[in-house]
Amino acid sequence: MVLVLAVLLAADAKAVDPTEFFETKVRPVLADKCFACHSSSRMGGLDLTNRPAALKGGNSGPAIVPGKPTDSILVQAVAQTHARLKMPPSGKLPDEEVQAITAWVASGAIWPEGTKAKVPPPSEYVISAKQREFWSFQPIRKPAAKSIDELWLKMLTAKGLKPSPKADKRTLIRRAYFDLIGLPPKPEEVEAFVNDKSPDAWPKLIDKLLASPHYGERWGRYWLDVARYSDDQLASQFEIPHPSAFRYRDWVIKAFNDDMPYDTFVKAQFAGDQIKGREKELAAGTGFFALSPEQQDDRVDAATRGFLGLTVACATCHDHKFDPIPTKDYYSLLGVFLSTQKDEFPLAQLEVVKAYKDHEQLLKDKKKELADLQDNQAHELAKIFAQDTAKYVLAARGEKVDGLDQTVLERWTKYLSQPNHEHPYLKEPPDKLQTTVIEVANEKDRIDAENKVRLGLNPQRKDLSSANLLSLPRDKHYLWRDLFSEKRTSVFYFKDRDLDRFLSAPFAARVNALRAEVKRLEDTMPQHYPFLQTISDVAEPKDIKIRIRGSADNLGDVAPRRFLQILSKGTAPKFEHGSGRLELAEDMVAKDNPLTSRVMANRIWQWHFGKGIVATASNFGQLGERPTNPELLDYLASRFSEQGWSIKTMHREIMTSTAYMLSDAPSKANETIDADNKFLWRANRRRLDIEALRDSMLAVTSELDLAIGGQARRLNEEPNKRRTVYGFVSRRDLDPTLLLFDFANPNATNERRIDTSTPLQRLFFLNSAFVERRAEEFACRLEKIQSPEARIKQAYKILLQREPTKEELRLGLEYVKSETGAWRKYAQVLLASNEFVYVN
Amino acid sequence: MNRRDLLKTMGSGFAMTGFAQLAAQAARSESPLLPKAPHFAPKAKQVIYLFLNGGPSQVDTFDPKPMLTKYHGKQAPSGNLKTERKTGTLLKSPFEFKRYGQSGLEISDLFSHLGAHADDLCIIRSMHTERPNHEPSLTMLNCGHVLVGHPSMGAWLTYGLGTENQNLPGFVVLCPGYPVIGPQLWSSAYLPGIFQGTYVRNTSDDPEELIRDVRNRSQEAESQRKQVELLGKLNRLQLAHEGDDPQLEASVAAYEMAYRMQSEAMDAFDLRKESQKVRESYGKGDFARGCLLARRLVERGVRMVQVYYGNDQPWDNHDDIMKHKTLAATADQPMAALLQDLKDRDLLKSTVVIIGGEFGRTPAVEVSGLVDVQNGRDHNNHGFSMVVAGGGFKGGLTYGSTDDFGFRAIEKPVHPHDLHATVLNQLGLDHTKLTYRYSGRDFRLTDVAGSIVRDILV
Repeated sequence: MVLVLAVLLAADAKAVDPTEFFETKVRPVLADKCFACHSSSRMGGLDLTNRPAALKGGNSGPAIVPGKPTDSILVQAVAQTHARLKMPPSGKLPDEEVQAITAWVASGAIWPEGTKAKVPPPSEYVISAKQREFWSFQPIRKPAAKSIDELWLKMLTAKGLKPSPKADKRTLIRRAYFDLIGLPPKPEEVEAFVNDKSPDAWPKLIDKLLASPHYGERWGRYWLDVARYSDDQLASQFEIPHPSAFRYRDWVIKAFNDDMPYDTFVKAQFAGDQIKGREKELAAGTGFFALSPEQQDDRVDAATRGFLGLTVACATCHDHKFDPIPTKDYYSLLGVFLSTQKDEFPLAQLEVVKAYKDHEQLLKDKKKELADLQDNQAHELAKIFAQDTAKYVLAARGEKVDGLDQTVLERWTKYLSQPNHEHPYLKEPPDKLQTTVIEVANEKDRIDAENKVRLGLNPQRKDLSSANLLSLPRDKHYLWRDLFSEKRTSVFYFKDRDLDRFLSAPFAARVNALRAEVKRLEDTMPQHYPFLQTISDVAEPKDIKIRIRGSADNLGDVAPRRFLQILSKGTAPKFEHGSGRLELAEDMVAKDNPLTSRVMANRIWQWHFGKGIVATASNFGQLGERPTNPELLDYLASRFSEQGWSIKTMHREIMTSTAYMLSDAPSKANETIDADNKFLWRANRRRLDIEALRDSMLAVTSELDLAIGGQARRLNEEPNKRRTVYGFVSRRDLDPTLLLFDFANPNATNERRIDTSTPLQRLFFLNSAFVERRAEEFACRLEKIQSPEARIKQAYKILLQREPTKEELRLGLEYVKSETGAWRKYAQVLLASNEFVYVN
Repeated sequence: MNRRDLLKTMGSGFAMTGFAQLAAQAARSESPLLPKAPHFAPKAKQVIYLFLNGGPSQVDTFDPKPMLTKYHGKQAPSGNLKTERKTGTLLKSPFEFKRYGQSGLEISDLFSHLGAHADDLCIIRSMHTERPNHEPSLTMLNCGHVLVGHPSMGAWLTYGLGTENQNLPGFVVLCPGYPVIGPQLWSSAYLPGIFQGTYVRNTSDDPEELIRDVRNRSQEAESQRKQVELLGKLNRLQLAHEGDDPQLEASVAAYEMAYRMQSEAMDAFDLRKESQKVRESYGKGDFARGCLLARRLVERGVRMVQVYYGNDQPWDNHDDIMKHKTLAATADQPMAALLQDLKDRDLLKSTVVIIGGEFGRTPAVEVSGLVDVQNGRDHNNHGFSMVVAGGGFKGGLTYGSTDDFGFRAIEKPVHPHDLHATVLNQLGLDHTKLTYRYSGRDFRLTDVAGSIVRDILV
């Protein structure tokens, strides 16, 4: 029946265009129902993706015989008339599909050439004039205006907004302290500032804070968010700390404290080790890339979002859907990073480094020599004991047998008494068991010898993974494991000191000599020399090919290492020196690149105000937000590069503006126009981030350890009283308090932190040992003051930089009278209060 | 605000989800975890995800392959698919498959307890993912992406729907230690931190051992009540002084909530409150404890509970597939007991229960140098099984299939994106509309893919 119809259809197949018949009726069926097994995986040896392969067929012979459907195994299989092959295994195809295949074979199995599914290579990408017109690619145009305030006020006026009044001095000093150093001012500092009536009291305060070494701890940490800084790797199962990550962190902090020009700061992070004459000072900067996450390649992403505000990694699989970034650009940059490698930069004399490495190697060699010698002896010994297996088993079962080793007998007894064994051999009679045991040991030796041949010398993990090795059958393996392996519990194997009594004199002497040597080497092991985690260029840097649709199996054109097309005039020149990372960095900070200065000026603004002029600080592309005040952004960007890329100069200019000094007073009229305060008609109220919060709590109790720099320590390791920036930042298991308070994700570059307010955060204030301890300390600090009233006043001055109101004082006095141990609890309430936790 | 008030505000948020509602809630200074209306009428309200981490073998559990027995010890006719490590000849399953229930679902002896619920189980035999490595597959199954840095399904669900009980976290993750990669698997990534999974070690019956800072150890409840009252008064004074501020108001409300949370959480995590009979039905061990906690939490309105079978990757049996037997011995009974318990409390209808790991295992034996005995299986991402029950999924059904040997999903393949889309659908969420704008782009759990598998839904 099927065949009759098929013949009829065959006429059809010829009548219609055979290509069309194949493409519409046959190929979809093959693709849908057959390719899963009969393409790359070639089940049954059969590939059905092209005609020659189908003609060649599989293990059962040719799949198709053109013109002869009844002789074609393919037709027999799908019609399920074949004795053995009934395809597809998931169930018979609908009749019309069987008929179509039959008809197609009958009509000669026309299979148009070149229709094998291929992804066409992308054509050369052309950036349109319209794309070039996008705001962020435009050159920076410095406005005629003379100040931030001029441009800020111009925008407010245009929007019909009136600025809130200036904040009072108490508010300002609190704001400036948290903003620049992340710590609250002391009561006497507040006093001095409030009483300083000179016109330059404010700029003097700013200068003082900028000169503080704690400034770099605050602002360096902001950068570390962008740099996705961490003290460990995102390891799967074990903790793998970065031994020297802290040196990058400390370098960033110092760079901010020293007001390192931002262009240098950028270049150092790509190629500090290649900047002639300043290698020692700047190599640490390459930690930005040396500490990249291991599990995924995010270097292009971090570099382009971090420095340029462009999402170049969106072009990994296809040209960027919105911005003028061809996929080739992505591979041009990736080529730069793939031409680098992680390296270390010793901070010690060459001889010191060499001495350390030699010593380390020698120790390793001696340890191995000792272990090998012992293992060899233990192995031989085990085989000797195996000769007496039957005796031991009988003895273990209570029979009296002489001449056995007491320890081996004890081990046998223990082993036999275990309820479960992974193998069945213990049921055998002792003689038979002994034969099996000896056989298994010999077989294992043969297998090990063969496997050694198969693996070659010094196999690496990847060799092991791809090796095709032999092993004992499962049950025999467990017998061998339980009797002969190095496992502590194994019956015949003696380790280290336990082995000594069996060794003959010459071997014992050799073992002891090696032991002494190992001990000597361990005792004299020098301290590990300090070093930086850096990157360096590989021996042969090279361009890579585009991976079409991100697939490493589908390669396209070579993407020469060079800068992004949209930021280049004409075709970007190829990088010529090593990996090209220094050239890349130079292009980043080139005068005519409009993005780098805009992006950093915007970040500085954002870190001061909580919100950037461009709200998406790491995305200045189509999908990013537009600047709320483009003129102001360009003013800041041009001031930034003009003034030698000095970040501290930017702070001074921003903080002395009226825009910065506003109060957070509400205004109904303004709120109807700009409820989100996009145009900055008032100050933004901000929750302290976890660094400022934790540091403040330690500061107000006078417990804070203000030491600068050094190895990271876990924050939950009591008593860790160092600043939070020095706490251990883990990619794998971030400290729970950091996590609770919206710390940056160290696995990817961060444009800003999100502020959340959650009940679990409240539980931290109410119940955590950390807060309780601080409350206790704070209460102690107040104890010296006699009158409860004065105590409360002092508490307010230290925590909130002001005197309590009458009502607050009354509530406080009432509370401390009503409770036992009240001061500690009262202190905890104040530490948890909104006013302490927010800054306005 | 009491629970009734909360539910009232839920009404006012009707037809808004995701970001718009979040913004509206922020404006009303409400918690972002308040229940939100879904996109359409949901079939289910909650999710329990039982994660058998390490990659359980499909051909030894839910996908019987007679051909594997027949060709045991022979090379697969097609050669082996590309996997992580070297594999050799085909390895038959040492476990026996039986038919269970009226539907006659075939399940191996390893999961005979689960078999008793066959008519409630939907076995998807055609799962597949991109990579044969644990990390990318773990993040794919949990967060819909092969890279870390994307929000987990639980984070998306609480973001989209909030949670029913404001005194408990909306998304709870239970594991005695950590699975591979750890917290990235329940991360909120770029979603606000409030949506991240609350991780609890399920190693004790005593809640104080389990939850950090849940209860104050140094003072009585009465005394703390007074503290919270004083704090409320001081915060309100400041609020009056500063004028309207939604942020500060939210913070005031959060304290009240936190205070209530203490007693509710203590109660929810206290397994000593369960009857002996119930305890026994779940059996012993951390996973049993996790399953029982999952029920207690779901019962109290927690949106999603995820229970990891154990630390690291217990089901990763490269060397000896017989180890599955030991593992199943402490997995089968608790999962079956959980299903029964949910049924008894009429919760299974409204709870999607997902069972599975990050991928399956090869039908061929692993022969690489990384194993010391060759009786196990390598990773297999090309085809594996997952089981779903409750929440409007069809019971007594197998869906899709792998080839004759169980290497590759060939019929009706289901990608984790499809599974995610389907689960979201049961909770009343359109996976293409549940988006979050981050750094200029709208992100989804299902990236740019995923289709709902309608055939497995009631």
